[in-house]
Amino acid sequence: MDFSFIVVQLISGLTMATFLFLIASGLTLIFGVGKVFNFAHGSFFMIGAYVGYQFSSVWGQNFWLSLLCGGLFAGLLGMVAEFFFLRRIYGRADEGGFQILLTYSFILILDDLVKLVWGTEYKSLAKPPALSGAISMGGIVVPTYNVAVIAIGLAVVVAAWWLLNNTRGGRIARASALDREMLSVLGVNVPMTMTLVFGIATALAGMTGVLAAPLRSVTPGAGIEVIIDSLIVVVLGGLGNFWGAWLAALLIGEVNSFAIVLVPKWATLFSYLVMALTLIFKPEGLFAPRKVRRV
Amino acid sequence: MASIRRIASLCLLLLLTGMLTSALAQEKVIKIGALYPMTGRSGIYGMDSVAAAEMAAEEINAKGGAAGYKIQFINTDSKAKPDYSVTVAKRYISDDKVNFLFGVVSSAVGLALTEVSKQEKKIFIGTDHAATELTVQNLQPYYFRVSNNTFQSMAAGALYLKELAQTKPWKTIAYIGPDYAYGHAQIEELKFNLDRFGVKYQMVGEFWPKLFESDYTSYITSIMQAKPDILVSGFWGGDTVAFIKQAAPYGLFEKSLYFHPDAGGNYELLSAMGDSLPLGLVLSARHHNNWPDTAMNKDYVSKFHKKTGRYPTYAAEGAYVGVYAIAEAVKKVGNPDDTEALVKALEGLKFQQPEDPEGFTSYIDPASHQIVQVQAIGVTVPNTAFPPATRMLGQWKIYKAEDLLPPKEWAAKNKP
Amino acid sequence: MPSKPKTANTWYLLIFLVLFSLVPVLKTTNYQMLLAAHVLVWGLFAVSFNMLFGVTGMLSFGQALYYGMGAYGAGLCVKYLGQAWFFPGMALGIVLAAVTAWLLGHLIIRVSGVFFTMLTLAFGQLGWQVMFKWYSFTGGDDGVQNIIPPGLFSNKVIYYYLVLALVGASIWFLGRLSASPMGLILRCVRQNPERVRFLGRRVRRNQQRIYIISSLFTALAGGLMSGVDYSIHTDMFYWTTSGHVILMSILGGIGQFFGPLVGAAVIVTIEDVVGAFTEYWSLIIGTVMLVMVLGLPRGLMGEISQLWTRLPGRQQALTTREEGN
Repeated sequence: MDFSFIVVQLISGLTMATFLFLIASGLTLIFGVGKVFNFAHGSFFMIGAYVGYQFSSVWGQNFWLSLLCGGLFAGLLGMVAEFFFLRRIYGRADEGGFQILLTYSFILILDDLVKLVWGTEYKSLAKPPALSGAISMGGIVVPTYNVAVIAIGLAVVVAAWWLLNNTRGGRIARASALDREMLSVLGVNVPMTMTLVFGIATALAGMTGVLAAPLRSVTPGAGIEVIIDSLIVVVLGGLGNFWGAWLAALLIGEVNSFAIVLVPKWATLFSYLVMALTLIFKPEGLFAPRKVRRV
Repeated sequence: MASIRRIASLCLLLLLTGMLTSALAQEKVIKIGALYPMTGRSGIYGMDSVAAAEMAAEEINAKGGAAGYKIQFINTDSKAKPDYSVTVAKRYISDDKVNFLFGVVSSAVGLALTEVSKQEKKIFIGTDHAATELTVQNLQPYYFRVSNNTFQSMAAGALYLKELAQTKPWKTIAYIGPDYAYGHAQIEELKFNLDRFGVKYQMVGEFWPKLFESDYTSYITSIMQAKPDILVSGFWGGDTVAFIKQAAPYGLFEKSLYFHPDAGGNYELLSAMGDSLPLGLVLSARHHNNWPDTAMNKDYVSKFHKKTGRYPTYAAEGAYVGVYAIAEAVKKVGNPDDTEALVKALEGLKFQQPEDPEGFTSYIDPASHQIVQVQAIGVTVPNTAFPPATRMLGQWKIYKAEDLLPPKEWAAKNKP
Repeated sequence: MPSKPKTANTWYLLIFLVLFSLVPVLKTTNYQMLLAAHVLVWGLFAVSFNMLFGVTGMLSFGQALYYGMGAYGAGLCVKYLGQAWFFPGMALGIVLAAVTAWLLGHLIIRVSGVFFTMLTLAFGQLGWQVMFKWYSFTGGDDGVQNIIPPGLFSNKVIYYYLVLALVGASIWFLGRLSASPMGLILRCVRQNPERVRFLGRRVRRNQQRIYIISSLFTALAGGLMSGVDYSIHTDMFYWTTSGHVILMSILGGIGQFFGPLVGAAVIVTIEDVVGAFTEYWSLIIGTVMLVMVLGLPRGLMGEISQLWTRLPGRQQALTTREEGN
């Protein structure tokens, strides 16, 4: 294994990690702020991809506009789902179980709606022409699009960190994770905050769906396929922890990337192994915030 | 008074509907109970199969049916789940009184259903699943398959590679395929066939992403490191699309020959990829929309397109042929109820199919209950005759059907 | 909860047994009996799962591991040793499941809440991957076919009654357990583990015990299923199987002992009926689920018993209920 190959493999792992993170980030945000586990997060990812396909491939719009519209649509749908349905079960006894049940019903419904609108044929979305090539440097070849994806992932981490720490909205979101009652006493509309956060998270998932579409096929059933991997990332990163999710995604991506080279037959086992080991030795997640902040 | 009259008329109505349904029940029908997936990743194959089977049933019924029996086709979404499919199959047999079990995309479902078929002594016509063991070690008297299995594809593939070595010498092979039975079977069978045909090769890597993997980047860079002359692929459906899309910018297809003989040339792939499908990939499938160039194939493809507004994937042809196989067998026997006679009729049944080239007629091998068909392997070339695909296969290489059946050594090697 | 529902549960159990024992007599087709057998097996699975979730408050997302072990115990023994080994194989699967639960319990029960859920998921998926990849031994995702119970039990009606008897006995046992002092402690563990410690009871030991018991009966359900369907496959280990049983329990009502059983019956039947008449089953089942979650916050059985307690003259019972929820 020579040096340039190691670098190539590292970058490959990074690409995988970025997608993992982009999907998981919304999941961890919703969990952090509202203690809601959105099992249907992958379905919003799928919806985003289909809407992006509609704009880009059917209506011939610009890729980045399609990306925006895919995200916007998924976000709106997420807000509708939260406002009309999820909100009704907050505070119920055994809320966790009902969250799974309710969001699972979203998966079932959205799957069939997608089928009704777009059928079951595989859909395809072209990359923006500017990013279709590859960057070659000292024997290392990396597709431009992958580089762009990694950059977007980084931008999302930094932007989210900045927004959460330096804006009023971010402070409210963080505060509602700590003490909702107090926040509502202070005159903040907590339910509305939750709807908005849900919207942002699902919009992120939708945008990721469009971003991933040129590298994958847009197919029905994608919602359920991505959810377990994202779940692993969220738990490893420490529930509700943005930076943690990014680092956890990185860990899973790189472990996978090198497992493929070293033990190709058992590579798919590793993400579960990492999760099991982590939870046994550090149950609160690898990158959990300090106890003080979690309260 | 009014109420009595109402009750009387209601009774009359009931009586009438009762008579009507019993009259309908007396109409002679062949009931086919199909289990195709209609949702998820393999939903497209289910949709196409059902459309094609209905098309065949309409054609047969329009000509007065088979031996006076009309074909009635019912389908339940198998959800691609073996346990659920077993339940439905048992309902078909005990409640719906079907004459034939039919269909199935997933081999796992096929294996579970062949068990039901054996227990209940009900003929099961397999139309799309490719696991070779169904017609070798798991064969039971009531199972028949009208599409080719992976062994036949791989035997044709091995012959192709043998010929290739003469024009363009190659030495090394790497394999990538989904990590489940289908993926593993393909490379085992390819190796067996390469050995059988005396082809020398060196394996430089086997890669096993999980089924429905979304990110192949790390696999692609590992393959590039292994530098195989030939990259054999065993994906199906969306996995192929994702792999090719992700591998193209790395230049993988300029460095290694992409060779995908079982499901690589399926139409849903050609249509989903459009221009992003590289030229010069070597692919095949169990039916091609542009090969053979016979009137029957053209007619079949255009009828399907007229009915559904899209061109068929190969799964559709399997279902289409399956319904015709049933009709032919019933014609021979005279009724759809004498199972043992139908088994005899299906064994060795010979009939013209859309995928038969001039001068060849497919038949069901009496010993293995496996259809014997010609295989064609092609290369991706520009062709816009079947939009939205902009590439189709061309430069065909044709392989004789008899060379492709699993030989006795294979069956012996795989005795349970 | 303990005193009153005990008698009620006995009645429910009797009604349930009588109803299901009539199925082979009243059925018009074999299929109805098959469906009833599915309800029984899933019902046992759901009730034993609910001993963990509804009673003790441990949401396991990995019970499929034990379900699969039971099924593969019977299936692999039949495959390699012959039909006569069906029942010994099933027993072996159950013992293996109990041992695994004991071993894993040490690792898993140290954490609680969502971490417990995730850890059970991780181990469940690891088990699935191993079964899936160990192709030469387990047959991978091709599964194992031709699993037919030996002798008399190859008759479907007799096997059905065997399933009914075993499921009935298991549910009776679990019902007794749930109403016993141990059941009471388990409920306390769910509501307030701290206080259980103050009372001098060990939380973890009780959790460990119920984890093993639940897994054991789950494995029994798996073993029984292999003889109902004649074939098994690795999907039984997959997380969707664990998810399925969670749905059944919540839909039926986790606060009620018989809730999960009712949930199993409802889901098995709905899936079958809806699946038979439309390919858009997922839209319909999803909508039904959505409406049920929003409209029936206590699950089906929970709502029924709520109505029951609201009947005139039964006002006192309300206080017991409040505590139970």
